[in-house]
Amino acid sequence: MCWVFFKLRFWSGNSSKPVSMAGGNEVNVNESRTVVPLNTWVLISNFKLSYNLLRRPDGTFNRHLAEFLDRKVPANANPIDGVVSFDVIIDRETSLLSRIYHPDNADLSPLNIVDLKRPVNKEVLPVIVFFHGGSFVHSSSNSGIYDILCRRLVGICKAVVVSVNYRRAPENRYPCAYDDGWTALKWVKSRPWLKSTKDSKVHIYLAGDSSGGNIVHNVALRAAESGINVLGNILLNPMFGGQERTESEMRLDGKYFVTIQDRDWYWRALLPEGEDRDHPACNPFGPRGQSLEAVKFPKSLVVVAGLDLVQDWQLAYARGLERAGINMKLMYLEQATIGFYLLPNNEHFYTVMDEISKFVCSNY
Amino acid sequence: MGPYGSTTCSGVSRSASSSSSSSVTKPPADIDGCLADAGYKVRSSDLRHVAQRLERLETVMVNSPGDLSHLASDAVLYNPSDLATWVDSLLTEFNHQPLISLPSDLDFSDGAVINNPAALPRETWTDNSSVIAAAPQQNHNQLTVVTAMEEDSGIRLVHLLVTCAESVQRGDLALAGSLIENMQALLTRVNTSCGIGKVAGYFIDALSRRIFSPQTVGSASGSVHENELLYHYFYEACPYLKFAHFTANQAILEAFDGHDCVHVIDFNLMHGLQWPALIQALALRPGGPPLLRLTGIGPPSPDGRDSLREIGLRLAELARSVNVGFAFRGVAASRLEDVKPWMLQVNPKEAVAVNSIMQLHRLLGSDTNRNSPIEMVLSWIRNLNPKIVAVVEQEADHNKPGFLDRFTEALYYYSNMFDSLEACAMQPEKALAEIYIQREICNVVCCEGAARVERHEPLDKWRTRLEQAGFRPLHLGSNAYKQASMLLTLFSAEGYRVEENQGCLTLGWHNRPLIAASGWQVMSMPEATTNQEAVGIINQNNNPNHI
Repeated sequence: MCWVFFKLRFWSGNSSKPVSMAGGNEVNVNESRTVVPLNTWVLISNFKLSYNLLRRPDGTFNRHLAEFLDRKVPANANPIDGVVSFDVIIDRETSLLSRIYHPDNADLSPLNIVDLKRPVNKEVLPVIVFFHGGSFVHSSSNSGIYDILCRRLVGICKAVVVSVNYRRAPENRYPCAYDDGWTALKWVKSRPWLKSTKDSKVHIYLAGDSSGGNIVHNVALRAAESGINVLGNILLNPMFGGQERTESEMRLDGKYFVTIQDRDWYWRALLPEGEDRDHPACNPFGPRGQSLEAVKFPKSLVVVAGLDLVQDWQLAYARGLERAGINMKLMYLEQATIGFYLLPNNEHFYTVMDEISKFVCSNY
Repeated sequence: MGPYGSTTCSGVSRSASSSSSSSVTKPPADIDGCLADAGYKVRSSDLRHVAQRLERLETVMVNSPGDLSHLASDAVLYNPSDLATWVDSLLTEFNHQPLISLPSDLDFSDGAVINNPAALPRETWTDNSSVIAAAPQQNHNQLTVVTAMEEDSGIRLVHLLVTCAESVQRGDLALAGSLIENMQALLTRVNTSCGIGKVAGYFIDALSRRIFSPQTVGSASGSVHENELLYHYFYEACPYLKFAHFTANQAILEAFDGHDCVHVIDFNLMHGLQWPALIQALALRPGGPPLLRLTGIGPPSPDGRDSLREIGLRLAELARSVNVGFAFRGVAASRLEDVKPWMLQVNPKEAVAVNSIMQLHRLLGSDTNRNSPIEMVLSWIRNLNPKIVAVVEQEADHNKPGFLDRFTEALYYYSNMFDSLEACAMQPEKALAEIYIQREICNVVCCEGAARVERHEPLDKWRTRLEQAGFRPLHLGSNAYKQASMLLTLFSAEGYRVEENQGCLTLGWHNRPLIAASGWQVMSMPEATTNQEAVGIINQNNNPNHI
């Protein structure tokens, strides 16, 4: 049931770890430079730098400056590389926006709005509900990096992608993001024009990176408990944590764009005041977590980057799914850093996109 | 496209305006395509340099956390898309010394400015919105998917509207006419007090005029007095004009720094709503206010009243009350292209600011017999060598040659605008603001040739046009952005968004920018100066509005 990719290494816990890089805990930007292409390094370092400007030590966040710095793109109903996008409001009360991406396929005639009320898809078109990353605090569905990622997913999976603009911390703490994800899922489920003509149902997958991956888990849980069928979960470098300091956190602290300190800041921003990182939102299989044994949880694809300092928590998550008998496929990419999937300039990107494509198509 | 679809870095510019042309704009060959897709412009050849700077910044930031928080809260930051200049400017902030900048297409006027904004309120980023904004670009044979509308009839209305516009374009007025009838019948079954029903109503009306009574279209434009009144209500009901004024004033204030004699040329005075704030800001300037001249251009008053002068007098009173030396001149002209630079009596010693709030697009109607009005006006603006040209324009492509394209673009643009207006609770401001917008719609939909003055073009087109005319951008920075955002959260409904767009600021409803503000300066000193012109022409000044 669980596939482990050869390229990457055997994941179970405490056995041999990659050789520790020289330099101990001090910031050593040269290491990260050797493992990613230059333009990726520039992109992620720029984010790191900007984000440092935005997080305040007292836990507040410079939202104006964040929005000023975020590079955004509008939706575009003209096809670009065969993909069309538009924004919808899913929930007026919370101003919940989503951006919808779909293939510009004349066969489908989804662009004929008169048909919006009837299922338009001649084949089955999977719908991926996507939650962007940003550690629950940064980015939006109209951020350039996520707009392009969603466009790529449409092409790769031949799917409709619904990118949810969930409410962010610290202004909106747990459980706002999960509530928004749930609202979006119900909305998608009930769209007539997303239904497959084959079985009059909407075929839904959940996908997300970083905090988005965390949201995927929690929305899937709620779906399972409410009897809504989600066909699969895709978690890219999902954001999990816990009170304990794990070996990977200590070994990789500050080495590849991310520090324990900033991770802690984001958890404090998300979790209710007074909570610690063993809160189930952060640590779903920790001391306060729940077993998923009795739960009809979707099959899951979990992608872990070997240079991500929170990998021990991500691997623990994967193990938790396995223990519960859930169909879980783990991809551990030894030399990958955070954000490897943002630019299509490395082999990890293509390997992962291949897997995602098979994962989404495998039901048909 | 490879097996991964669009997974190569196409570097395709996916801005709204790029979709107004049939092909998407590609960046110059040397720009890194992957980063361009992410919204950053960096030359591949500059990547190493940028990386080095980022490394240096990392070290500096680790070593001086105090500077870091100063940078975040006080420094003014510009144009984050231009990474090379961006990292240089950040390093300058830390080093307090200018660095040797990379030559760059994207200019950077001065170093970062230190600012002392008021303490930021704790952010409450709640949203209460409504409206879905479909990006509205339209191909001939395809209907654009619209927003998730609640009613079947609403969907049908949009479908019919677009089909009707298509028939108008094809010249099939019989079909168009019968579609109008269908739509009017459908309207009775739809809620026309808000949402798609309301917007559709206006567009059906506009199409109907175009088809059935084209001769009456000119008269829809209303009297000067009416227009001013409607403008005022539009100003009150929603933040678009306030944003325009505020952002332009901010840029003008900064451009006037260090100058003792300043002259603002306002291309459309209206009630002079923009100027009290600038006068007050100048009054509070450290070191004291400059001597301020304001030249207000506006249409002549038909009833013999000198309304320009009246407004001038009111502003003079205000200036007097805050001890700002002030002089006003009104220039009456029905069209901006009728204004000649000598009428403005610009003094070579003064610092000039040109202020154009939604006026430049009116010059885009082409007349093949003579120099295009826009080129003519931009040329004399350039000759004035202003310290700043503040330009605010609707962020829309309502000047496309094809009627159907224009119509669909307008349908979505104004749907967004009307939706944002739903949040306004004030009456009669809201109702009259809607009439103001309706007049614009009529002009876009019903008029052609010289009568069609609402020829809105998007920011990217204005950028190209202004650069070709010899101007370079003066970037609006994070301080202007922040203050605009704060004003919005204080005074307007949730749902409005300020966005930074390569040194310009836009205000939109949800994810759709609707109005764009930018600042410009001439690229190089012109040969001729207005001094020489003015001396020769002083005797020809028979402007009765001189104060």
